[in-house]
Parts: sequence; C-alpha cells; structure tokens
Amino acid sequence: MEEDEAIHGDFYLLAKSYFDCREYRRAAHVLRDQTGKKSVFLRCYALYLAGEKRKEEEMIELEGPLGKSDAVNRELVSLERELATLCKNNTIDPFGLYLYGLVLKEKGNENLARKVLVESVNSYPWNWSAWSELQSLCTTVDILNGLNLSNHWMKEFFLASIYQELRMHNESLSKYENLQGMFTFSNYIQAQIAKARYSLREFEQVEVIFEDLLRNDPYRVEDMDTYSNVLYTKECFSALSYLAHRVIMTDKYRPESCCIIGNYYSLKGQHEKSVVYFRRALKLNKNYLSAWTLMGHEYVEMKNTPAAVDAYRRAVDINPRDYRAWYGLGQAYEMMGMPHYALHYFRKSVFFQPIDSRLWIAMAQCYESEQLHMLKEAIKCYKRAANCNDTEAIALHRLAMLHRELDQPEEAAFYYKKDLERMEAEEREGPNLVEALMFLATHYKTQKKFEEAEVYCTRLLDYTGPERETAKSLLRGMRIAQSGFPSMDVEHFHP
Amino acid sequence: MAGVVKAPGAFAITPHKVSVCILVNIYASPSQISVPFPFSSVSQHNRLGLYLLALTKSCDDILEPKLDQLINQLREIGGLLDHWLTDHVTSRLSSLSSPDDLFNFFNELRETLGGPDSGVMEDDQVILDPNSNLGMFLRRCILAFNLLTFEGICHLLTNIGIYCKEAISSCSSYELRRVDDSGNDFESLSEDENMDLNLVFKKINEEMEARKRATEQVSFHLHLPKELSTLVEDIEVSADPKSEHNDKGRESSSYASGELLRDVDPNGGVFLRTNWQIQGYLMEQADAIEKHGSSFTLNAFELTLRQLQKLAPELHRVHFLRYLNNLYHDDYFSALENLLRYFDYSAGTEGFDFVPPAGCNSFGRYEIALLCLGMMHFHFGHPKKALEVLTEAVRVSQQHSNDTCLAYTLAAMCNLLSEIGFSTTSGILGSPFSPMISVGTSLSVQQQLFVLLKGSLKRAESLKLKQLVAANHLAMAKFDLTHVQRPLLSFGPKTSMKLRTCPIIVCKELRSGYHLISEFCCEGSTMTADGAFSTAWLKNLQKPMGSLVLSQDNGSRNNYNPFLFFTQPSSIPGSVMQLVGSSYLHRATAWEIYGSAPLARANALVYATCFADASSSSDAALVHVKLIQHLAVFKGYKEAFAALKTAEEKFLCVSKSRILIMKLQLLHERALHRGHLKLAQQVCDELGVLASSVTAVDMELKTEASLRHARTLLAAKQFSQAAAVAHSLFCMCYKFNLQVESATVLLLLAEIHMKSGNAVVGLPYALASLSYCQTFNLDLLRASATLTLAELWLSLGSNHAKTALTLLHGAFPMILGHGGLELCARAYITEAKCYLSDPSFSVSKNPELVLDPLRQAADELQALEHHELMAEAFYLMAIVFDKLGQPEQREEAACSFKNHVMSLDHPHDVEDPIQSDTLLNA
Repeated sequence: MEEDEAIHGDFYLLAKSYFDCREYRRAAHVLRDQTGKKSVFLRCYALYLAGEKRKEEEMIELEGPLGKSDAVNRELVSLERELATLCKNNTIDPFGLYLYGLVLKEKGNENLARKVLVESVNSYPWNWSAWSELQSLCTTVDILNGLNLSNHWMKEFFLASIYQELRMHNESLSKYENLQGMFTFSNYIQAQIAKARYSLREFEQVEVIFEDLLRNDPYRVEDMDTYSNVLYTKECFSALSYLAHRVIMTDKYRPESCCIIGNYYSLKGQHEKSVVYFRRALKLNKNYLSAWTLMGHEYVEMKNTPAAVDAYRRAVDINPRDYRAWYGLGQAYEMMGMPHYALHYFRKSVFFQPIDSRLWIAMAQCYESEQLHMLKEAIKCYKRAANCNDTEAIALHRLAMLHRELDQPEEAAFYYKKDLERMEAEEREGPNLVEALMFLATHYKTQKKFEEAEVYCTRLLDYTGPERETAKSLLRGMRIAQSGFPSMDVEHFHP
Repeated sequence: MAGVVKAPGAFAITPHKVSVCILVNIYASPSQISVPFPFSSVSQHNRLGLYLLALTKSCDDILEPKLDQLINQLREIGGLLDHWLTDHVTSRLSSLSSPDDLFNFFNELRETLGGPDSGVMEDDQVILDPNSNLGMFLRRCILAFNLLTFEGICHLLTNIGIYCKEAISSCSSYELRRVDDSGNDFESLSEDENMDLNLVFKKINEEMEARKRATEQVSFHLHLPKELSTLVEDIEVSADPKSEHNDKGRESSSYASGELLRDVDPNGGVFLRTNWQIQGYLMEQADAIEKHGSSFTLNAFELTLRQLQKLAPELHRVHFLRYLNNLYHDDYFSALENLLRYFDYSAGTEGFDFVPPAGCNSFGRYEIALLCLGMMHFHFGHPKKALEVLTEAVRVSQQHSNDTCLAYTLAAMCNLLSEIGFSTTSGILGSPFSPMISVGTSLSVQQQLFVLLKGSLKRAESLKLKQLVAANHLAMAKFDLTHVQRPLLSFGPKTSMKLRTCPIIVCKELRSGYHLISEFCCEGSTMTADGAFSTAWLKNLQKPMGSLVLSQDNGSRNNYNPFLFFTQPSSIPGSVMQLVGSSYLHRATAWEIYGSAPLARANALVYATCFADASSSSDAALVHVKLIQHLAVFKGYKEAFAALKTAEEKFLCVSKSRILIMKLQLLHERALHRGHLKLAQQVCDELGVLASSVTAVDMELKTEASLRHARTLLAAKQFSQAAAVAHSLFCMCYKFNLQVESATVLLLLAEIHMKSGNAVVGLPYALASLSYCQTFNLDLLRASATLTLAELWLSLGSNHAKTALTLLHGAFPMILGHGGLELCARAYITEAKCYLSDPSFSVSKNPELVLDPLRQAADELQALEHHELMAEAFYLMAIVFDKLGQPEQREEAACSFKNHVMSLDHPHDVEDPIQSDTLLNA
C-alpha cells in the first residue's frame, strides 16, 4: 500500500517537474492513470495550460487577413466534461473547482462559473487565483452582493480589491486600512492603499506611501506606473527619471516599466518617443488600460487626432468606465472643431467621475465655444466644477465672467467675491484679482453701496496700471456723490 | 493607428481550392490525346471545363462549399463519370496525410501549366494556358501555397482532414434535380472539336451566360445553397402571403446568421475570408437592413456581427452594421454607441467606398460621423438635436472642404425640414449659428428650406452626384407641391394670380429624376464598385417577377412583368431603383393632391409592381396605404378592409406604422357613416394618441386627428364645439403654413356652419377654401368646395336654386371623373334637391331628371353604408314618388328611409373582427 503511494508520489513528482519545465503535455501524459486528487488537478491544469499555449501560438500562426484568428483552447471541451463528472460525483477538491470555474468562464457560462468559484473559495480561501477569477466575473455591485461567501479574512482582501475595481474607492480604502492593522508589513496592502488614494486624487499621500514602499521593496515594478503618474502630475522630473532608471534595471520588459518611461518622455515633451514606449507596453499587454489612455494623450499632444481618438476608444472598449479616456475623446473632438460631438463624450466622462472639476470645466468650455455658445449650460457645468474642489480656480472666475456677459451683475458679483476670497486664501495675485476688484468696485458703486466700493477701490490702489487710475477716479466720484447734496448747495449758492 | 486595413484581396489557400485544383488537374492532365483518359467524349470534357470555370470564378466569394456540396454538384455535372470524379477527388484529398504530400501535390500542379514559351505545341495536347482563367487560378493557388509558412501548411493539412471528415459523416446521398437543358448546350459545343482551348473558353463564357438565363440551377454562385438564395428573395415575392409572410423575419435571420456562423464555426472547417469578401458581405447586409427595416431580426444578426467582430477586430465596418441594425430596431443607446465607436475607430476612412481625397488630409472624415449622427437623431425623432448636429456637420465639412459631404448634409437638412414640418424648427434656423447665415433671420422656415434646397441642388449638380441630384429634384417637387414659391408676405386677392403653385414645375422636377436611371443604364460599368457582389441582376433573373400587390383575388396571378426587360441588362443599384421608385410615389401623391384619382392609382400601382423589391418597407407600406385608401373611396369598405388584411400580413412587424394609422382612419370613416359615434370618437382618440407620441410631433398626423375629431363632433350635431375645434385647427395650420390642410379645414368649417343652419356664415369659409384650392391646384377639393358652396346657396332659399345648380354643373365633370363614391352621391343628391326646390321645375313633367341621380346616389352609398345620406336620398325619392302619385314605390322608398334612419339612431353592433381587435391592440 505504502509502496503504491510512493510510486504514485513519484509519478506526481515527475509530472510536477515536467510541469515546472513547462512541458505540459508531458506532465499530463505521466499522470494519465493517476486518480489522486492532486494528480488529477495537476493533469487537468497541465492540459489546460497546454491548450492555452497552443492557442496563443495559433493566434499568431493563423492571423488571417481579417486580423485575428478564431483560435480556441481545444482542451476546454474535454476538460469541462471531465471536471463536470468529477463535480457531480463530489470527488473534486477546491483546486479542481477553481479549474472548473476557469474552464466554465472561458466557455462563457458565467453563472455556473461564479457558483463553482464561490464553492472553491469557500472551501479553500487561500487561493488568490480563484478570488481574482471570481472578481473578473463580478462586474456590478448587484452581482457582488448576490455572492454567498463565507467569512474569512481573505474575503476582506477580495472585497477591497473588487471595490476598487467598481470605483468604490472610499469603501476599498477603509477595507485596506483595516487589513493593514492585521498585516502590518504587507507591501501589497500598502500599494493598494496608494492606488486607492490615487483614485481619490490624494497625490501627496500617495507619493509618501510609494517612497516608503520602495524603501522596503526596492525592486518592485508592480504598481509603479501609478507612482509614475503621481510624479508626472507633480512634474518631478528627476524623481521620475530615477524611477524609470530603476525599473528598467529591474525588468525592461514589463508593461509597467515601459509605461513609466513613456511618462517620463511625455513629461520631457518628447511625445514621439513616449508613444514608442507606450506602444511597447501595449505589445506586452494589449489590455493595459492606462497605456492606451496615456498614448491617446500623447497623440493629442502631437496633434494626430485620429490616432488619439483610436487609442482612447480602445481604452474605453476595454473598460467603459474609464473616465479619462472618455474625457480624452471629448478633447480630441473639440480640437477638431466639433464641440457638439465632443459633448457626448464629456457627458460620459462626467457621468463616471462626477467629482472631478477638470471634466466639468472641459465640458463647460465646450458649451462656451463660439460654435455652440450655450452659456446657460456652461454656467451649470462651471457650478458643478466649483462645487468639487476646483484646484486651478478656473470655474469661479469663468462663472463670474459669464454672468457678467449675460448681464446678471448680482450673480457676477457673488462669484467675483468668492473668487476673490479664494485668491486671498491662497495668496495668489494676478490679472484675475485686479479684474475682480475692479468689477466689484464699480458694481457696488452703481448699487450705491459706497462703503464696500471704497474698500475695493482702495485695494486697487495697491496695483499699478490703468486700473489704479480708474480706481482713483471712482473714489473721487464717490466722494462727490456721498457729499453730493452739500457740494451741490455750495455750487448753487456761490455765484 | 486609425483605420488599419489589411491588404485586401488576400488569396488564401483552402481545402476547397485544393479540391478545385485536383479537378483542374483531371481536366487538363498532361496527356497526348485530345480527350484525356477518363472522359469519353469532348462534350463531357467541356462540361467539366464549364463547371470548373464557374468554380474558379466564385472562389472569391464569401462562402465556400463543403466537400459534400461539391460532390453533389459533381454528380450533376459529371454524368456517367461522377463516381470516378468524386472517388478521385476524395481519394486524392485523403491521400494528403503529411506536409510533404502537399508539396508534391503542388509541384504536380505546376506541370499542368504550360510555360509561356513551351515551344512546340502538339495539336492534340491539352495544356493550360497560364494566362487563361483556370491557369491563373492554378498559379494563384501555387503562389499562395508557396507563401505559406510551415505552420500554415500544417493548418491547411488539418483543415483538409476536417473537410474530408465532414463530407463522410454527412449523409450525401440525396439527389439533385437535373438541369434538363444543360445537355443541349454542350451538344452544340461538341461540333467544333479541334478548337484551341482558349477559344473554347471564350465560347464557354458565352454559353454560360446563355445557360444562366435559361436555367435557375447553375450560376456562378454555385456554392450558395439554393434554399438560401431563394429565401432572401422569397421574403418579398412570396407566392402565398398568408402562410409565408408571418415568419419572414425568422427566415431572413436564418440567412443572416446561419450562414456566417457556419462560416466561422471553429470546428466546422475554418475558411477565413478576405477583407474584401467580408466587406462585400457587410454591404449586402446593410442594404438588406435598410430594405427590410425592422423585419430584419435584431438578435440573430447582432450575434453574427459579434462573432465577426471577434474574428476581425480591425474590421470596424462591423460597428457600422451594428449601428444600422440597432437603428432599425429603435435601440437608441446601442445605435449611438456603435455609431460613435465606428467613427472613433475608422475616422470614416474605411471600406470600399472610401476614396482618399485628392488633398489627402489626414484628419479623418469625422464630418461624415456628424452627418450620420444627425440622420440618426432625425430617425429617432429628435429634429432639434439633429439640426444642431447637422449644422456642425456643415461647418466641419466646410472646414475640411469636403464638398460631397456638404452636399449630402444640406440634402439631409432639407429632408429634415420638410419631413418634420415646421412646428419645432423655428428658432433654430433663425439663430445666428445657422449654416445659412446669409439668409438672415427674417425669412420663414419655408423660405429657408427653399434656399437650402436650391443650394443643395446646385452643389450636387456641380459635384456630379447623380443620386443626390435626383433626390434633390424629388425634394424640390415635394416643396413645389405644397408651397407657393414666392414670398407669402403679401398674400391677398390682388396678387393671387402670381401665387399659384405650378403643377408643371412639379412635373418637371419629378421628371428630371429619370435622367438618373438612364444614365445608370448607359454607363453601368461605373457602378461596379461592389464588383463581384453586385449580383442583383442575377437574382432578378431567377426571381418570379410580378407579384400582384393586393391580390385578395387568388385567381389571376400574372407573371408578366413590364419592368423585367428594363432591369435585365444592366445592374442598376438598389439605391437608384429606390430613388426612381420614390419619384413614382411622389407622382402618386401629387396626383392625389391635384385630384386625379386614376393617375394617382396608376402611379401607385407602378410603384408597387415594379419597385417593390427595391423599396424600403416603409415606402412599400405607404404605397399600400394609398391603394387601400383608393379602394375605400371608390369601392367601399368591404374591399378596402379585405385589402387591408393582406397588407397587414405583409407588414406585420411594423408596429406604429402607416398601416395602423390608415386602419384607424378607415374605421373612423366607416363608424361615422354607419353612425357609430361612440366608436368613431374612440378611434379618433386613438389617432390622437398616435399623434402626440413621444417621438417628435408629426404635424400631418396631428392635423388629421383633430380634423377627425371635428368631424365626429359634427356628426354628433355638436356644432359649436365642432366649429371651435375646426377653428383652432385652422389657426394651427395657418401658423405652420400647412396650406393644403387649411383648405380642407375651411371647407369643413363651411360644412359645419351649413349643417348648423348658418348658411350665411358658411359662405365665406367655402369661398376662402375655394381660393386656397385654386392657389394650390387642388382640383378635386375645389370641386368638393364648389359642391358645398352650391349646398350653401341652396339652403339660403329656393330662389338661389338656379345659382346652386349652375355651380354644381360646373363641378360635375371633376366630381364624376375623379370623385369618390361619397362625393358623387352628395353631388347627385344636391342636384336633385336643386331641381326639387326650383319653383319653375315640375316633377311630374320630368321625373327622371330627379329620380335618376337619386337612384345613382343610393346605389353608390350602399357600398359606403352611409346611412345619413342614404336616408336623405330615399326621403327625396319618397317625396318625388308621392308627387308622381306612385304610392307603392313611395312606400318602398319610405320604408328604406325608415330603415336607414333607424340604423343611424340605433347603431346595432355588427360582428366586426377588425375593429374589435384594433381596440384590443390599442
């Protein structure tokens, strides 16, 4: 009996070695008569991988005139049959279930796949592959809530990850933070937190986290593209180049590495080179979402709008919730002088990311464009932008201007005042400030609120230029008006 | 990145081509005898040659036959030899078991070809000329094979295995019908035996053409399974509408999906097609979608497209097809999504029809996207949005100096303006951002439309866009029909002479559309853009032409088609046919408005018989509506409803269609005549619901609904309400410049006042209506207005009877020649009344002068079941008989009178399947 097991063990070990050497069919052949659960799984899995490998090869070989072949994994049918029988006889282990789920997913039977995968993770929760397959099958919150998952800390990881995918960033962040309490030194959790925060646009903290992460895990390439995005937005040239250098030494042929280099070139303004690297990233991973979007941005910079549109569209087709790509599409069409057409895309973009002021501003500018000239709609958009933390403070200023254009002085004054307050708080100066002061001064003067008007006028006196003279004359006028009656009297009685 | 298109026309070697090569090898085996081994006679040999020629010609098509199909065809062609041939092919195929066998096979093939300078040609030797059709085919195959990588050869080998296995597994023992006369053709060929092969081929070509005409069985597209090729056509020319039209949707879907799915089925022998082929397929499907509208099933085709998209991710045309498919199934969101996706990917620069512009700007052609988007919004009933988008399209095409697109955009705008009516557009065109800035804002929408039309026409002419020119002419005719060209600002009696519409202009515009078809006839070669796929004329040949349009009489089905000879020689594209067809439709409408019923009917019939295959389903429905309405007016309801039933079966899938509207109209009219006022009101309300639908307001329908509402009120003798409704309707018509409708409404107002006893008030309305009719040449309506006028005079008192009679007699020719049953009857009755009320007229002297028209009227009204008028006729008859002192006949007439009055007052519910199921549906 023991000898038997030993022999079986030997078979298994031989097969495992073949498997590790990527000789899948050989491994499967060795295990052809083995009935142990482990052996069965290894055999099936090896067959599956052999099929996948052949599929990939055929995809290239058969690349017909239409671009893509219809290569399929030819092992799927027999695997499904076998695993289904095992499943029916209840002689299947969680790993077998995982493989069964995988096969079902490939065959397009998503509901059953989900059920099988849930069963697998419930009986063996530590198989992250099963969790990630399950995640890819949960595209909406409703599906997620319909899953019957038993409690385990792995479930928390799963939820955190899927929340991020479903753009529920705050929920995801809180889950990860909880997990961090348990797994204090996990780089993974740290990186995920950084990503969640990045989605929430908290760039400062993200940078800190990534710096910390790189100290602990210096050869990490994973997730570094997010870091590079942060560095890009913060325009840290040297830090970005340092990062790029570092990852290229670690692994040149990772999509992330290429993306980081692309980002670097983009920051340097060398868009052609940047495109080359994004292309390389995409060659390595055709479904690399952010590379498509970023490449679109580069094409926009290069004024090659059709290419940009194409790239963005691919991003959107990979993930229709990618608001950046929608935004890019809108921008590209706006550049081509098709604002009405662009609006559709901007609308999509703000639908998926209603808290980003830049999107609202872009949409508003579209409405404002000379061809459409729909100022009321533009105002609505700017209002939304102003409500969601408009860092560049464009919205308030534009709102004030538009209201002035529409001859609505009350509203204009309101927004100028707000803008002014903001500029004061941020200690910014510039033409906008002068403009605001100027408008407010004249506005209050016409409203006969001389005290307020005087305040703004005196502030204007601090600036050089024609406004100063105007302010002076305004002040003079007001003094006269204020002492209007007496002076009139004087003039009357003197002669 | 944008619009990556792989090199078109790649010639891939497939198992089917290998078998054709084998056959060619048999046909032209390098032997020394004139008739090579297996063949017993030259005619047999030639027959195979013909067949091979057909096969090689069709090898660029989308679908390739499977081995069993090939074997069946061989059986038909080969005669005595079939066993030998099939055995040879199958054994040869199955002997190919290793890559090396394939190498050897193609090497052998090379020997079949004579070199270009093969020196001495012995008389009897059969050598393929490398430049002949078969020779070219062989060379292409050999070249394609040589280009294959080793992996490719392996795949070919696997595919051949699958190809053979399938044939063996599928039972291939069914017999095909023989081509009866095919033998004769070959017999005649066999006379000249010693001909050069090339010469033979030439001859064969001609013979093939001739034979194709003679038979339906063999065509170049041999491979297309027969049931399919007939299916598509059956949809329209089905023999028995009752049984077959119900599942036409399913059938067309099975065509759409089944075929391609089989084509791409991974395990069923993969035949990857070339880009060109798929594009051709997609074009065909696009035409089909447009033609069949919503009867083209959504899901099946969507499935096919999805599959195709999976296979050919770079073939963006698929998205466009998906857009079309969704468009015609009223799925706004998917349609929009797919349209945008298509243009995002392709930048409008994909497909056959793309000719890179001379300037070769690399900006893509997004203006076309705008044009399409505008049309889509229009289709979904968002005219305002559509106009915005089209405005942008105009601007962008001007920017990119794409004149063609500009012309089309302008045409689309005209279409939009004239279709949607003028209710919603005011204020948009007037905005400073309108494309026609020069026009300024002071012009009315009609005038703007006119300017647009003119501009569009001129542009199209200068760009030589023939179809667009024709379409513009049609639009112009439509405009001329209902609008006075000169500014309407000074409308009044003084200038009325100038302000007439001119039927001659309309006719001229309509006629100029015909140049189009004659041009396409004489230069058919320019239209072969779709190359091998323009097989329309081939299909036409095989089609049993001429289905009677509304043939509820199942007797004489005429197979004679007057248009057949016209369509035969040249392949006129469907779109051209459609245009020409719609000019007939326009003519029918024009005559309808001008009041010539026979001409309207004739034109509608021409359209229905000759252009039925080319027309879109909505146009076809429209023509049916016209014909049925004609029936109702001239033959009574019974026939109309019977015809309606046929039409309903034909246009089953269209839910909110013209057919439905017409049905409601018919029901309403009949209810009014029968005196079912409740039902009339109900039907009228239904019409109103259709008019106030969510998709843009259809002014025509709206006026129709309220007109009918007023009529119902009138019938219910609620005069003041009826007058109020009619009045507000007139205000609306006036506001939106619906002048033809205004005339009708004015006439109705006159009638209301007459019936309410205020003849004096009615007179000016009738006169106003008359003047409208004069302006727009509405002759029939004018006659009917004259009739009303006569009635009004008559009701003013007996001393006006003479005036009335004169008026009436003036209108009689028109009424009797073109008027419907009701109008004629009314005229007769009025005539009788005139005579009777004329004090100088004595009945006893000349009774027939009164009795005859009354009898006529009673006869005609019988078909309409118009109780009210019938009662009146019989009442008058009774009076006359009374005066004549014929009590028996008087009693009879009085009895009929009583019956009709009774049934008018107590409308007994007759069993009526049609009306009950409408109400259920609604």
